Amino acid sequence: MKRLLPIAIFLGLFILLARSLFVPQMDLPSPLIGKQIPSFSLNELGKSSTVTHQDLLGDIALINIWATWCVGCEIEHDFLVELSLDQDLDIPIIGINWKDRDDLATRWLIQKGNPYSKILSDPIGNTAIDFGVYGAPETFLIDDQGIIHYKHIGPMDRQNFEQDILPRIVALRK
Amino acid sequence: MKKVALMYLLLPFQVVPDDLNTNLTATQQELYQGIIQEVRCLVCQNQSIAESNAELAKDLREEIFQQVEQGRNEAQVKSYLQERYGDFVLYEPSFKQSTYFLWLSPILILILILGWLRKIGVF
Repeated sequence: MKRLLPIAIFLGLFILLARSLFVPQMDLPSPLIGKQIPSFSLNELGKSSTVTHQDLLGDIALINIWATWCVGCEIEHDFLVELSLDQDLDIPIIGINWKDRDDLATRWLIQKGNPYSKILSDPIGNTAIDFGVYGAPETFLIDDQGIIHYKHIGPMDRQNFEQDILPRIVALRK
Repeated sequence: MKKVALMYLLLPFQVVPDDLNTNLTATQQELYQGIIQEVRCLVCQNQSIAESNAELAKDLREEIFQQVEQGRNEAQVKSYLQERYGDFVLYEPSFKQSTYFLWLSPILILILILGWLRKIGVF
């Protein structure tokens, strides 16, 4: 029994440490889940009108942080367009164009299609910091009160959308 | 020659200078430099934002700079970051329920070792 003690301690530590090796922790949990979206006042892309956080209330919506310099956004874009055309789903996608140039962003949308119901431009990146963004694309699911329910990091595609986001939208609509 | 070699050896320890930190008082400078070395760059997770040249690190340095300039203290700046990016953003995790084991395990291990040393008759 006495001899087994060191082995038991070793095994315990081994399992504890080995487990963290195999649990993928690439996506950091967001402390903003369950909280209200941060307040902001941003220009609409290519326009002089401003949009605040309060203008986003009233609908269950996706907020997508993107930029033309972001490779993942390019991968994701076709899927966003597909989502925006899905009449059954019918969910507004709000874009926040992050640390980008308005002219480049506008051209990108003309060339690739515009999935966004509103696009806000955050050239300095202050609002992105308030959203805890650390790499585009990032997508937030908010309810009609502006509470954040989920954050997806990296490009969305059919598979991860149906697995992680769609069930939450369905639950929110019940 | 020796000096040059030494310079290269010290290179990993350099702190990226910010040309913007000029109008802070000496205490604020110190505070600012201290904070940015304890904040993790989330894009390049093994660097502090003081060391990193990533865009996000620059933005966060700028943000922290402004907050220090406005007279906020270390705890305020850190909780600002924690609210947005989570515990992971700080190199030194805060002392709370989920980190009790982390903080207290060294003491626990020390006690075990002392007990063991006593048992084998070292003292």
